[in-house]
Amino acid sequence: MSAAITASPLRRKRDWPKHSIIWAFILIELFPLYMMFQVSFKDNASFIRQPWLPLWPGEWQWDNWVFAFKLIGPYLANTVFVAVTGTVASLFLAILAAYFFARHKLPFSGFLWSAFLILMLLPGVANIVPLFMLLKNMSLLNTLLALILVGVAGAQVFNIFVLRHFIEDLPKDLFEAAEMDGASHFQQVINIVIPMASPIIGTLAILAFLNKWNDFLLPLIILRDKELFTLGVGLIYLDGEYVKQWGQIMASYFLASIPLIIIFLFTMRLFVRGLSAGAIKG
Amino acid sequence: MAFPLSRQKLLREWRLYFFVVPSLVMVLTFAYFPAASAVYHSFFDWSGGEAKQYIGLDNFKRAFTDSTLLNSFVTVGALMVFNLFKMIPSILLAVLIHRLFSDRWQYVYRALLVVPMIVPQLVTLFIWKFILDPNLGALNRVIEATGLKSVLVAINDFFGWSVFFEGVPIGWLSQPELILPALFIWGFPWIGTVGVLIYLAGLQSISTEIYEAAELDGIGPFKKFIYIELPLILTQVRLSLVLLIIGTLGGYGLQLLLLNEYGGPGGRGMVPGLWMYNRGFVAGEFGYACAIGMILFVVILSLTIINNRYVRVEK
Repeated sequence: MSAAITASPLRRKRDWPKHSIIWAFILIELFPLYMMFQVSFKDNASFIRQPWLPLWPGEWQWDNWVFAFKLIGPYLANTVFVAVTGTVASLFLAILAAYFFARHKLPFSGFLWSAFLILMLLPGVANIVPLFMLLKNMSLLNTLLALILVGVAGAQVFNIFVLRHFIEDLPKDLFEAAEMDGASHFQQVINIVIPMASPIIGTLAILAFLNKWNDFLLPLIILRDKELFTLGVGLIYLDGEYVKQWGQIMASYFLASIPLIIIFLFTMRLFVRGLSAGAIKG
Repeated sequence: MAFPLSRQKLLREWRLYFFVVPSLVMVLTFAYFPAASAVYHSFFDWSGGEAKQYIGLDNFKRAFTDSTLLNSFVTVGALMVFNLFKMIPSILLAVLIHRLFSDRWQYVYRALLVVPMIVPQLVTLFIWKFILDPNLGALNRVIEATGLKSVLVAINDFFGWSVFFEGVPIGWLSQPELILPALFIWGFPWIGTVGVLIYLAGLQSISTEIYEAAELDGIGPFKKFIYIELPLILTQVRLSLVLLIIGTLGGYGLQLLLLNEYGGPGGRGMVPGLWMYNRGFVAGEFGYACAIGMILFVVILSLTIINNRYVRVEK
C-alpha cells in the first residue's frame, strides 16, 4: 500500500471497523492458548471456582509444571530425537537424489523421476495397514527407528521435487569450475549445493520438523513401551486418564509446545515463508 | 539444466546413480511395497498372520453391502460440506487484512495468525475436546451465560426433539444427535493459518491503482470483493479446495481421538478412514481393511482427477 494513503487521516479513521473485526477473530483464535496457560497454574478446585480469570502469581501451582515435566520430559526427548534425526536424514537423501536429477540426464533418469512423482497421487490412508504388517515382519514394531524410516520415506517426494528445481536454477559455471578443480560429485554437493540452497533447505527442514512433531497416528499404532512414547502417544494416554487434573494436563500441553515456540522465535521469517510456499506447492 | 551425455562421459558418471539409490530404496520399501501389498491383500481373507485365503472379490462385495461403510461415506460428505463452509472465514480475514492501509499492522496481524501454529495439532485437538466438555467446557458455560440455553430448549420443545434439556449440561460428544454439530463447531472461528497466508500472497498482486479506480467509480466494498479480490485468489481457493477434499476424505485422526474407534456414540462420527482403521486394528480383518483402503483410494483419485479437469488452476 502506498504511503500517500496511509498519510490521509480520513482513511485511517475508516480503518477501525476492519481492525475490530480482525481483533475479534484473532482473540477467539488465541483464547484456547490463554486458557491453556492460565489453567496450567490451577488445581481442580480453584479451576472449578474460577475457570476464566488467572490466579494471582503468588498462588500459582508450580507443582503442575513439575509433574508435567516429569511426565512429558522423556516423551519430549523421544520426539526431538525422532524429529531431528528424521529431518536431517530425509533432507540429506533428498538433496543427493535431487542433485542426481538436476545435474545430468543419465539413462533411466526420466523413468526414475516419474516413479517418484506417481507417489504424489498415492494417498497415505490406504497404506497404513500393509505398512504395519511390513514393519511387523521387519521386526521394527515398537522402535523409534521405524518412525524415522517411514518419515524419511514419506518426505522424499516433496523434498526432491522442490530441491530439483532449485538446484537446476543454480549457475552452471559453479559446477563446471568445481569439476575443473577435480571435485567429486559428493564434494560438489557439500561445497556448492548445500551452501547455495540453504534458504530452501531451511524452509523444508522446518516443514519436515513440524510434520513429525504433529504426527500421532503412526506412533499410536506401532509404539507399545512407555519408554519409547513420543509426544503424540503420550498425550493421548494422558487424555485417557479417568480422573483428570486439568492443571497438570494443561501444563503438559504447554510444555509440548515449548520446542516449537523456541523454533518459532528464531525462525519466524522462514516459518511464515515456508508455510505459504509449502502450501502452494503441496 | 540436465542435458544428455556422451557415451564416454556416461562411463565416468555412473557413480552418480548411487546418489539416487538411497531415496529409491526407502520409497520402494515404505511406499510402493505397502501400496502393492494393499492391492494384493484386498483379494484375501487375511487376519494378519501367515494364513490367508484367496476369496476373489468377496471383500469388495461385502463393502458395497456394509451399511457402516455406506453411512460413513454420507458422514464424510456432510463433513466436506462443513469444511467448504469453513473456508469462508479465512478468505474474509485475508481480504480484511489486505485492505488495511497500514503495512505495519498487516505484518502484526500476519505474525499473530502464525502464533496458533506453535501449538501441536494434537494439543489443539485436546483443547477443543476440553472446550466441548459438558461440565467444565467453555462452550456450555458460554451458552448458559448468554441465555442461549433456554432458546435451545425452547426450540427443542417446539420441534419435539429430545436433545436439549433445562438443567442438564449439553453432552456435545456423548449424544449421538450432537456429534455432527459438534464436529461443525470444532475449530471455531475456522481460521486456517496456512490458508490466510496463501490468500494474502495472492492478494498482494493487486495494485493500488485498481482500488483507486474502483473508488472513483463508486464501487462498494462488497462489489470490490466480487470483482477485484475474489478473481485474484481463485487459484489459491481452488488449491485449498483440492487439499481439503483429499484431507477430509482420507482423514480420520480427528474422529479417532475426539470420539473413539467406533466413531463415538451411535457411530455417528464414523468416516471411511476410521472404519478401515477399525476393521484392521480392532477387528483384525486386515484383508477387508485393505479393500476399504482401495475403495477410498479410488474415490479420492477420481475426485482429484475431476478437480484437475473441471476446476482449472491457471498459473
